[in-house]
Amino acid sequence: MTSNDAKTARAEWGTRFGFLMAMIGAMVGAGNIWRFPYVMGENGGGAFVLAFLSLLFVLAVPGLMAEVALGRYSQKGVIGAFREVLGPGGLVGFGVVVLLVNVALMSYYSPLIGWTLYYAVHSMLFSFTASGFEPATFMNDFFANSALMIGLHTVVMGSIAAVLLLGIRRGVERLVVYAVPALVISLVIMTIRGLTLDGAAEGIAFTFGIQWEYLTYSDTWIAALGQALFSTGLGWGIALTVGSYLREYDDVPLGGGVFTAIGESSIGILAALAIFPVVFAVGLEPDAGAGLAFVSLVQVFPEIPLGGIVAILFFVGFFLATFTSGVIITEVGVTTLAEETRLSRNQTVLGLCGTIWLIGLPSAYSVDTLDYLDFVFGNWGLPLATLAIIGVIGWVMGPERLRLLAVNRNAGIFVGRWWNPVIKFVVPAVMLFIMGYSAYDSFGTPEMYGGVAVVVALPIIGYVVMSVTEQRERGGGGQSEPADVTGGDD
Amino acid sequence: MALTAEVVGMLAFTLLAFWGVASWALVRTMRQESRKVEILEHQDRMDTYSPRALEQLREWIEANPNDPLVDRAREQYNECVDALEETDRQFYDWSDDEIRSLERL
Repeated sequence: MTSNDAKTARAEWGTRFGFLMAMIGAMVGAGNIWRFPYVMGENGGGAFVLAFLSLLFVLAVPGLMAEVALGRYSQKGVIGAFREVLGPGGLVGFGVVVLLVNVALMSYYSPLIGWTLYYAVHSMLFSFTASGFEPATFMNDFFANSALMIGLHTVVMGSIAAVLLLGIRRGVERLVVYAVPALVISLVIMTIRGLTLDGAAEGIAFTFGIQWEYLTYSDTWIAALGQALFSTGLGWGIALTVGSYLREYDDVPLGGGVFTAIGESSIGILAALAIFPVVFAVGLEPDAGAGLAFVSLVQVFPEIPLGGIVAILFFVGFFLATFTSGVIITEVGVTTLAEETRLSRNQTVLGLCGTIWLIGLPSAYSVDTLDYLDFVFGNWGLPLATLAIIGVIGWVMGPERLRLLAVNRNAGIFVGRWWNPVIKFVVPAVMLFIMGYSAYDSFGTPEMYGGVAVVVALPIIGYVVMSVTEQRERGGGGQSEPADVTGGDD
Repeated sequence: MALTAEVVGMLAFTLLAFWGVASWALVRTMRQESRKVEILEHQDRMDTYSPRALEQLREWIEANPNDPLVDRAREQYNECVDALEETDRQFYDWSDDEIRSLERL
């Protein structure tokens, strides 16, 4: 940083649409495309939709309102927002936890974006519709080629850095206002193509057939819970960061809560409509994850008319979904570190993207490492981050204060007092349940030990880092100043 | 394979519940944005709270006079009252009587 004065002017979203697309672009990722349709079909179809929808309204919509509102209230990144509520001191380290979880998440998400980039490029070369093409062999060869994986990881992080160097409006906003609509248009065209194929009805029946008994199964609700919380990115610092760039008269609850949670889930629904009709039309079994995107669907494209074009639409859309998420997940760290250090935004972008590239090398080198980190951070790190953010709102700031001072200010919809207990009790209890269930489900495995290490180590690291840095900034001594806001006992 | 009425009904409900609600939220927030821009082209500020939200803010300020955030809350309350009294266009649905009954805290 050249001087502290240079950091006083804070960027803002140029348009309302830019903010909305940033929220959707951040939250719509690989999970919406390759996980949601399968989870829906496997968990009772319509019954799952009802469970999922109710949890979205009960948990994700209020939770996102809270996170965006905290960002808007503090107008700071994650560490600054925690300091605004907690006052200076070691507890601000919970903001460091959120930051570290985002960096770790991005370290294994970047290689995954590289996969989608590779398939998008091959779709444009019409590789998948060439004669003699073998999807499984192609994927296995690709995953075994570590140099290629590392190269793609490098290209992805370089591209993300290039977007972020342009800033919030000229970089992030300009990307998402085109990329998100392009993703939706791609899926709509693919849906139309799929629904006009013979046999498409089986795919619709698999996805939307109602098996009411699934509403009585705990597995259905746990799957719906995981999807509602993880797909919407609640409590990862993303909504907080995006919300911190809102303009003076912008609304929080309608755009940041209702539109974001329901809109990003709508893309999962659209993906189900786009993918399963074509999969069933050619007589393949539905799958999830890399198997669905990189094997099943790739087998489909040569079998259907205009399959090469459909492949381009799908993989370019898939790449855009993952890439926009990657850009904004990285922005969480850039915003925070640029505020908290003497580095300029450009220096922060280069330093952080370089760091993520470096610690992402093991995930790029080995798919097993990526899977391990995905499990550990997905089941432990991300819920910990959510607990930190929702916990500080619910139990320190107090939901009533935030509701009155930020949620209902300039709001497009009125949020009543029902919101307070949801933020204070329900969301934290659900996150604790998810972590407990993960421990029970993976008891004694390396994944559980990794998860426990994350849950124990990150708060300690955060506390120590912030205790030392804040003490140094205050001239090397003295007690922490009392927090401006204490209690939260509304 | 013909789709059953139940599947078609669920598909329609799902599209309405997700795409319908998302589209409603998008259209509503974009229209509100246009209205705010229009108001701000006419005047330099506008009301920041709906009547119900401002009423709840006032009740909280009066009930929590020693709260660490009460000064900020009072500032935001007064900002809205000033805007309502000094401007002629409102974003929220304020009646003249409601505006006349407001007092700074």
